[in-house]
Amino acid sequence: MNFTNIDFDQLFAMNDDSNPLMMIVWILPIILFVFYGQQIQLFVTSREIKKAIKKLDSFRDESRKELVIYIEQNLKHENNFTKKIDRFLDYFTIMPVDMDPNGIVDKVQHTVRAREDYTREHIKTLSPQINDIELAKVQTLLEIASSLQMIYKIVNHMFLTAKKQNNYPLILPLQMILPFIMEQADAMREAIPAFKNNQPVGDGIGPMVVGKMMLDHKKEIISFQTALAKTDFEGRILYLLKAEGPGSTVGRPADALGKITSENKIDAIIMIDAALKMEGEDSASIAQGFGAAIGGIGTERFQIEDVATKNKIPIFSIVVKQSVKEAITLMTKEIADKADETRLQVYEMIKENTAQGQSIVVIGVGNTVGVPQ
Amino acid sequence: MIFSKKKITIAYTVEKCPKCEMLRKRKFLQDDVLFSNSTKCSSCDGITVIEKIFGELMEQ
Repeated sequence: MNFTNIDFDQLFAMNDDSNPLMMIVWILPIILFVFYGQQIQLFVTSREIKKAIKKLDSFRDESRKELVIYIEQNLKHENNFTKKIDRFLDYFTIMPVDMDPNGIVDKVQHTVRAREDYTREHIKTLSPQINDIELAKVQTLLEIASSLQMIYKIVNHMFLTAKKQNNYPLILPLQMILPFIMEQADAMREAIPAFKNNQPVGDGIGPMVVGKMMLDHKKEIISFQTALAKTDFEGRILYLLKAEGPGSTVGRPADALGKITSENKIDAIIMIDAALKMEGEDSASIAQGFGAAIGGIGTERFQIEDVATKNKIPIFSIVVKQSVKEAITLMTKEIADKADETRLQVYEMIKENTAQGQSIVVIGVGNTVGVPQ
Repeated sequence: MIFSKKKITIAYTVEKCPKCEMLRKRKFLQDDVLFSNSTKCSSCDGITVIEKIFGELMEQ
């Protein structure tokens, strides 16, 4: 065969449909994408997910390391405490069966509180002389490390399952949800320094507002890690409630509210909390509304709503909008600057919605790390 | 991305003198706690109280 007289113009000619080479150039990718399209997509997506998993792995390592260093440098500890920490990190919680939802809230509350009590007791075994503030700090750091470990394990499991089955559709839900997971994980990682240094976080705006209202008044511990101060304002009695600071805790405001309403006639409940802002909303903007403003798994909210409904007490709420990251990392200047304005709105709300001689419970909801009363 | 600067959060404490209402912003110190007494006021003889603790993002 003579290869010296090939006419390249004719070979790559675009204007002739019968050109065999051009037909192959067009048909080959079509065949390739028809039969191997999913595998190619799986390969491209896998690379992105692998990068994210590597990041998650470094986050969990970092959080564990920070916890170990903190205990080593700040607490009197046992020699083999790292082994115990590694065991805690793998602890899981099995939520109660909800096929019959009757009584599910009590069951969930019992499970969660039992886990919290267990963690506290075991931290005490790591360092028997630990004080309450340090204990709450270590507990929070442990929760962060444990959550990051769990996130890593779940994402890695979903990825490896999809790879093992060579199944592209299986990896799609993970690809879609991954940016949100990464945002949460990144926020948790960045939350560590604030909790280590006992600095207020964005979620602490509620306790910060109520904490300032409680200053110079007699305080008592009304329920587990929850402080109460009784004051008066323009002829009304105010019951000010917040988690007991400056340790890292959210307290048990629902138990406290139940106790207050069982002993006193309450005419209104006002809750101040941080709320997740929607995309496009300004951070640190204040909004007012109705209903119990409290996050978490829902047991506290259920209890508060139950008490309010049984006693026919209206619930008003004031929220300060922020992102997930702002809520659990060091409080931003914008949020801190809104504390005074929020407090003024609380007083305004009291005047507008209650009469003289009435009693109001004001609850500062959120983690009170770095915020005393 | 290669040329983007790393952002770090720096913690600040704002002290307020209850006597002369003067505000002073300084870097956060380890034992700073909100609403606690801090330092002597630089413009009067009052003792400042920690009014705010917050973080600001800085580019490195």
